[in-house]
Order: sequence, then structure tokens, then C-alpha cells
Amino acid sequence: MTDLVINDVVADGGRTAGAPPKARRDLAWLGLLPFLAFLVLFLFIPAISVFRNATNTEAGSFSFSAMREAFTGQNLEAFKFSVKFSAGAAAVGVLFGTLLAYAAATATRPRWLRNLVTAFCGVAANMGGLPLAFAFLSLLGRQGVGTKVLNWAGFDLYGGDFDLGNVTGLIVVYSYFNIPLMLLITLPAIDGLKQSWREACSNLGGTSWTYWRRVGLPVLAPSLLGGFLLLFANSFAAYATARILTDNSKIVPLRIAFFLGGDVSIGEDAVGFSLAAWMIIIMVVCMSLYWVARKRAERWQS
Amino acid sequence: MQPHIHVAIDPELGNQPTAPTGIAPATAGRPRRRFSRLVPNTVLILSGLFFVAPLLTLARFSLQNVPTILLGWNTLFDKWSLNGLTKAFDDPAFWPALKLSLQLAVGTVVLTLGLLLPTAIWTHLRVPKARSVIEFMTVLPYMIPAIALVAGIKIIQPHARWFLNSDFSLIPFYVILALPFTYRSLDAGLKAIDLRTLVDASRSLGAGWGSTVFRVVIPNLRTAIISASFLTAAVVIGEFTIADTLLKETLPRFQATFVGREPQGGYGLNLLALIVTIGLFVTLSVLTKKRDPKRKSFARQAANAALVEKPGQL
Repeated sequence: MTDLVINDVVADGGRTAGAPPKARRDLAWLGLLPFLAFLVLFLFIPAISVFRNATNTEAGSFSFSAMREAFTGQNLEAFKFSVKFSAGAAAVGVLFGTLLAYAAATATRPRWLRNLVTAFCGVAANMGGLPLAFAFLSLLGRQGVGTKVLNWAGFDLYGGDFDLGNVTGLIVVYSYFNIPLMLLITLPAIDGLKQSWREACSNLGGTSWTYWRRVGLPVLAPSLLGGFLLLFANSFAAYATARILTDNSKIVPLRIAFFLGGDVSIGEDAVGFSLAAWMIIIMVVCMSLYWVARKRAERWQS
Repeated sequence: MQPHIHVAIDPELGNQPTAPTGIAPATAGRPRRRFSRLVPNTVLILSGLFFVAPLLTLARFSLQNVPTILLGWNTLFDKWSLNGLTKAFDDPAFWPALKLSLQLAVGTVVLTLGLLLPTAIWTHLRVPKARSVIEFMTVLPYMIPAIALVAGIKIIQPHARWFLNSDFSLIPFYVILALPFTYRSLDAGLKAIDLRTLVDASRSLGAGWGSTVFRVVIPNLRTAIISASFLTAAVVIGEFTIADTLLKETLPRFQATFVGREPQGGYGLNLLALIVTIGLFVTLSVLTKKRDPKRKSFARQAANAALVEKPGQL
């Protein structure tokens, strides 16, 4: 008898939780209201305002002129510069992140090596910001120790047009968090490469090259592509590190800040908001493609 | 993201049926093997140098009062002291900035948990269909980077000065910035326990909703809550973009300006900030490791999932 009652309660609990009557199910959605209201207030309204202000003229009518102006003159230069160094930083991050992931995944000893590498990467991938900029200034700045050591070894780092705020410099600095982020993305994919595939390949007469060309790289491709997009977005939107390393507004986030810096008044600032709008559009495209690539990549990781 | 399982590869157990890595244990004896490690080992060593060197030079600049020009073999051990680390403490602007950043961190953690815990529990219990929708919404902040969000805040500012003039108005926006990984952490925690059975058991034993949540659900989510709180605190303590644009005098803004006034002290402060952040992550991994082995692996997975999803920069 008692059993029956308990069973009844449990069964009832399961039912109300799994498939409640329609009226209660509709009410259940209301429980998400505070969270949704919070998102609307502090995320959606600011984001939509950006687009509204970017496409409004002073008179308040709709216009794309500011959105077009984002691709002229200095703004265009900022976009070119941002795309150039972000793509470079993403490519470097993908290449070395994957190499490092492969090296860490295949190292058999010391045994703690792999755990150390993944733990460090978990921290370093989040390390951006101010301290990173200052750390690199102390290493590769004009008065940096690394610069001095290179000089001593016969290489003048600042002999050409190198500067930590230029394309090459930013790529080097951003690699500090891009490479670890890439490692965290590709490590599961590299673990997913099965030993039996390699054996099958060599049984069929394939060389190591054939294996990578026909099996390894195609399996890793979605992870590499997804990683590239994520690192690109990551570098494109970064603000703090670049703020310290470049003194003028030559990259897009700094240029947005430059427009925002003046007390917001009517007029020029629509261009600033259109830069922000374009940035959101670029991020949405990159992140969506990243999600697609990630879904493909997960297919082999079981 | 599939949580990666750490498999220790034992060289003596050469013939595992499916080795999880690309290198064949079966080829371990061949002479080719020795050279095939050349590239990976070089990569490991060079990476080690690349990742350690900036930290070491930052430490040297903060702790040794010798200009780089004069640095040489004979001055290498001169004038080391901890003064560089504590110089910032004498600046009158330091303590208010630190206080504000700590208040913001606490406020953001409280608001994050107060908002996300009920939402996550409710979603899992009552509207499981909404789970993917909620998850999608929590990753939206990736697509609206801090600099674009602050542009939007600047637009609302004239309409909400009563709110945005307060320094604490940063809290909800920091909740948004941290949202993708705080929610993931809590969500992973809820997935790992049998929430419905726990709640049904507690309810059928006569507990009300309050004691069910506080005495049954939350203790079971301890590691997830700890991860979410630490990650949030780390974000708030390092956030620069929004505070800089809205001219709020938080610690990172002080870090940026103090360097101009007092280079060595400024670098020392940045070194301290770095050490504190790394300390947060290490404490997190120690705190979440102590429980039984089953829970340990879950906590790691949650932390990993949260970390991997977070673009490195705010």
C-alpha cells in the first residue's frame, strides 16, 4: 500500500515535470520572465540602440549614409588594419595552437606535461587585458629585455618598422591568448583521431603524408576553420591590450572609443555607432559560422 | 564542446586497442620514432619560452630597479626589492579604485547567482524545452563585444542618468559580459545531477520549495556555483573597456594611468593583478578538486567548458 502511494507520488511528479497540462506549461514560461527582462534591458536595448542610431539621420529619418561612411577615409583604414592583423593573429594562432596541441597530446612523458599545458592554456586564454600589454612592453618594447637580448645576439628588432602597436607586434602579443585558446579548441579533435585510422591507412599502403592529406587534415578541418573564425573574432573585438600598445585610434575598437569619447552629441557620432554596428555584424557572422563548424567537428569526437 | 578526457598513455602498455592519440604505440620501437618527436618537442620548448618570457621580464621590471640599458652580467643581481609591488599602495587613488572593483565583483557575483540560479533550475525542472533557447541567449554577449555594448550604453545614458551616473550601474553589464560562461557552468552542474529525482524526493518528504532549493539543490551544485563565482570575479577585476569608456575609476583604469606617473610601481601593480588572477584560477581548481573523484571530473569539465567558450579578451 505504502509502495503504491509513493509510486503514485513519483509518477505524478514525473508527469507534472515532463508533460504538465497545457495551462501550467504556459505559466511555466513566465518563470523565465525576470531573466528575459534582464537581457532585454541590459543587452538588447543597448544593442538595438546602436543600430538605430547608426541608421538615423539628425532629422530622425532612416538612412544608410552613416553605415556607408564607416568604409571611407580613416574608418576604412581602421577596418583594413583591424582585418589584416586579426586575420594574421588568427592564422598564427591556428598554426601554433594546433602544433602545440599535437605536441602536448602525443607527448608520452613527462606524464604531467599534458595536464600542465592544458591548465596553463586555460589561464592564458583568459589573460588578455592590461597586464599582458605591459608584460610585452617589458619584453619587446624599445627598452625591453628581449629587445636587448636580440640586440646582443646581433639582431636589431627596431631596425625596420617593428612596433608592438603595428601588425606584426599585435600579432605577437595576441598570440599569447590566441594560441592557448586554439589549443583548447583543437585538443578534443586531435584526441578524436583514432589510431586504427592510421593503421588502416598504412595497411592500404599509405605513407604518413597520405594519412595527413587524406584522413587527418580532413577530420581536423572543421575544428581548424572554426578556430580561425573564433580567433579572428577574438582579436577583432579586443580593446584593452591594443589601447595600451597603440597610441592612436587605428584599429576599429579604439576608433569606436574615440567617437564615444567626445560627449555624445548630434552629428558625427552616427559614424561611431555605425562602426559599432558593423562590428556586431562581423561578430555575428563569425560566431554563427563558428557554431556550424563546431557542430561538424563534434561528429568525430565520440 | 565535448569535454576532453585525460587519458594517461602508459608507454609500457603499448598495445591499447584504441589509443586516443595520433602517434602509434606500435611504432614505438622503430628508429623513425626518435626523429618524429623532434618537431613536437621543439614546439613545446619554444612555446614554453614564449609564454614564460613576458612574465619573467614583467617581474624583473617590477622588482629590479635597474634600467634595461644598464642591465648586464655584472648588474644582473643588483637592486632587487619588493618596493615596486607596494608603491601603488601609497597612491591616494589606489584604495578607492580597489574598493570599487571589489564591490563591483561582489555585486556582480550576487546578481549573477540571484538571477541565473533560479532561471537555470526552473528551466531544467519546468520548461526543459526552453533549454536550447536560453542557452542560445546566454552566448549572445559573444556577438556583442564590450566596446559595442558600451556604445549602446552611451546612447541610453542621457535617458537614464539617474541610474548610469552611479558606479554600481556597471554591475548588470558585467553580469552580461560574464553570462556565457557563468550560465554554462551552472547548466553543466545541473546536467550532472539528477535534479528531478532530488526535487521529487525532497518534496515528497515534506520539504517546501525554499528548503528544497537551499538544502538540497544548492549543496549539490556547490562546485558549479564556486566556478561561476570565481570566473565572474576574474572578469570584473580585469574589465577595462566599459569602465574606461564610461570613465568609472575602477582598478584596471588605475592600473593604466598609474604606469604613466610611476612606471615601476605601475608595472608592479600589473604584476600583482596578474598574480591575483592566476591565483583565482588556481584556487578554483583546488577548491573543485577536493570532492570525490566523480565530482572532480565534473568540476573540471564544467570549468573547461566554461573557459574554452570564452574569448580571451574583454
